Amino acid sequence: MSNTSRLIELSGITKTYGPVTALKNVDFSCAAGTIHAILGENGAGKSTLMKLLAGVIVPTAGEIRLDGNAIHFAGPRDAADNGLVCMFQELSLMPNLTVGNNIVLSRPQSRFGFLCRSGYQEARACLDRIGAGKIALDCPVHELTLAERQLVEIAKALYQKPRLLILDEATSALGADAVEKVFSVVRELRDAGTCVLFISHRFHEVHSLADKISVFRNGSHVQTFAAGAVDHDGIVALMIGQSLEQLFPPPRKPIAESVAPLLSVRDMSWADELKDVNFDVRPGEIYGLGGLEGHGQQRVLEAVFGVLRGVSGRVEIGGKPFGRRTPFRSKSEEIGIAFIPEDRKTEGMIPSMSITDNMRLAGLGRDGLLTQDNQVREAHYKALLHRLDLVYGSLEDPVASLSGGNQQKVLLSKWLALNPRCILLLDPTRGIDVKTKAQIYQLLSDLAEAGMAIVLQSTDYEELVHLCDRVAVFYHGSIARELSGEMLTPTNLISAAMGLSGIAHATEAAA
Amino acid sequence: MTQSIKTLPRLSLSRYAIDPAIFLVATGCIVLLVIGGIVYPSFLSPGYLLQQLQIASFLGVIAAGATLVILLGYIDLSVPSAITAVAVLTTTVGGSSNPEIAVLAIPVGLVGGALIGLINGIGVAIFRLPSMVWTLAINSMLMGALVFFTGGFKPRGVTPPLSITLALDRTLGIPNAFLFWIAVILGVSLLLRRTIYGRYVFATGNSEKAVFLSGIRVRLVTVLTFVAAGVFTAIGAILLAGYANQAYQGMGDTYLMPVITAVVIGGTSILGGCGSYAGTVVGALFITLLSSILSVLQMPEAFRQIVFGAIILTMLLMRRFDRSNR
Repeated sequence: MSNTSRLIELSGITKTYGPVTALKNVDFSCAAGTIHAILGENGAGKSTLMKLLAGVIVPTAGEIRLDGNAIHFAGPRDAADNGLVCMFQELSLMPNLTVGNNIVLSRPQSRFGFLCRSGYQEARACLDRIGAGKIALDCPVHELTLAERQLVEIAKALYQKPRLLILDEATSALGADAVEKVFSVVRELRDAGTCVLFISHRFHEVHSLADKISVFRNGSHVQTFAAGAVDHDGIVALMIGQSLEQLFPPPRKPIAESVAPLLSVRDMSWADELKDVNFDVRPGEIYGLGGLEGHGQQRVLEAVFGVLRGVSGRVEIGGKPFGRRTPFRSKSEEIGIAFIPEDRKTEGMIPSMSITDNMRLAGLGRDGLLTQDNQVREAHYKALLHRLDLVYGSLEDPVASLSGGNQQKVLLSKWLALNPRCILLLDPTRGIDVKTKAQIYQLLSDLAEAGMAIVLQSTDYEELVHLCDRVAVFYHGSIARELSGEMLTPTNLISAAMGLSGIAHATEAAA
Repeated sequence: MTQSIKTLPRLSLSRYAIDPAIFLVATGCIVLLVIGGIVYPSFLSPGYLLQQLQIASFLGVIAAGATLVILLGYIDLSVPSAITAVAVLTTTVGGSSNPEIAVLAIPVGLVGGALIGLINGIGVAIFRLPSMVWTLAINSMLMGALVFFTGGFKPRGVTPPLSITLALDRTLGIPNAFLFWIAVILGVSLLLRRTIYGRYVFATGNSEKAVFLSGIRVRLVTVLTFVAAGVFTAIGAILLAGYANQAYQGMGDTYLMPVITAVVIGGTSILGGCGSYAGTVVGALFITLLSSILSVLQMPEAFRQIVFGAIILTMLLMRRFDRSNR
């Protein structure tokens, strides 16, 4: 299967962004008729590699050969004309256009400048093929769910009849059934001679799909081997270059049931996204919120912090009702909630402002309008930066100059210096390197020991299993199941997230 | 382990003070002075230059409000009608036959300006309509209200004595208007650099979302900024009424373009979040000198407008705003 000729070959590819080297001297090739998985930590250079192949960026040095001929892409359209199609991780659909237009416009078929109707029939066929028959072509994309949009993205990629198809986290929002359907189509494509490059963080997907596996680390191509040649632990060791043992801090003592909860959420509903959510978090606990993306777990935290309008239900802090919630009131000393938003770059910080200015932002204005800083808090900032081992040039540099992990440290310091009683985190380790992850886990564990109530929403099952005392798994806007102790295993988490364990939802999940 | 931070850096002035745009415009001012001096030697006489400073003061005070609004990422297009409205209001109250009411002319004018700002702020911050549309509509409504109120004729009234003193008189040979402007410069610079409000303005201009999620009352900051802009416009209008010793229809109409030009060429990003009042000050001086030279060269009004537009575009092209988030 894999001894067909090389479809695309990279030699000596280097890509730098200013002082940052994203890829260094990479040699890589893939053959027609194979499914080739690319693995690596975030920041390993996978996405840069895919962007090079899709013609989005050009290499700083090195050569790309297609069918043995050196080639330079003028842009994504040029690459697509050569049969290289990428389905990007960040969804690239135009929200106000219909599904049909989004698909057809990726490879417009026109006659005398007018679009041909035949394109829409093909688009329909592509959607049907991946099991997305119920998505109407004339439905605007912004009305679709995240999973449906992902299916449209895949259909759009198929529509372009690729020779090389790049699937970058293509199925991250899809349920198990949909994933299986997509995979069967991918296998058909492979058998028809397409080369599929496949990026996923779900190991079982890689195992079930890939023929070959390449591992990247720190911008270098570490190793390529046939699927099955290296076991799971070996792959992880290749990916991170060290063993995983110390990633998670040792387990903490469970908090007694009798301890009064610090944060109680009762009957919380919001629009169509939350339905009667109830949970309690006790001081000293790390409470996890899991589930597939878009099932309401992020919304709950936003609702508690006061970002959403029109939330019904009650929130109690330390036994006292907390109504009329706004971020300003949430951070006040008597309430004491801190909130680490999901998207660091646009929600968590102001990229062009300095590290210190970003850090001081939440604490400003706590001590009246004129005093600029409070000595206690300044000392706290310093201690936190030291504790978290922030790596930086100068504290006056724009925060955008830091790596993702270090940005997250600044964001944590910004809130922890306010001495919150309860901290809400939305996927705090997304896109962060392993070392920083370990530091953040240790910090959260220590904070819990010190009596803080922590609510951690995460898409990483390992994190939920190893760090949390209890985990609420969301399904369709409500808590399908709460797992703790022995029951808190990856298998249970996944089945609850798919709605399999909740009796009420068992039939819905099959749909 | 040994890496320890002695103190976190203070708010660094350097980051805001070194703005190439300010040097560029300052150089432009010098060039204008040289050209003016060559064409018309008395251009460089102290009397003429002080008069330029006096005229620039009116523009500079009004542009202080515009600077705040633009730093926040919005724009205020209601300036022309607001100037006329406040001037008419002030002179009308000042012309009251009851001296106890006439004394209140300036406070009433300031409150009027603040109210216009409040309406703008509510529209932008609470109803969340684009500031460009909302303030333009307010401008139009104010203009209509003024015509209705005055019947389309020159309003009768008396300019309050204080506004004449401030706008026309001199202290030790220096125009009071310029001295007043210096006070405004100090006040606004302190406000922007030394107060928490100033931090909020810069941060909000950069990313309103991040500021909101940091638990800051963004709507309050926005409304306050528009109110402050309304008050600065009102002060400018009262000075202008004093300078002309009257209020008249359309007296603010020629100010919209110069105010925004002064802010933008002074290095403040039209998208908000970066800039300084110092830049606006230099910008206001530049525009005043430019306008003066164009009249010395007997340039027709129509052509002057074209030059203003051309300068905004040139300055924007030279600066190429570099907002990191798109």
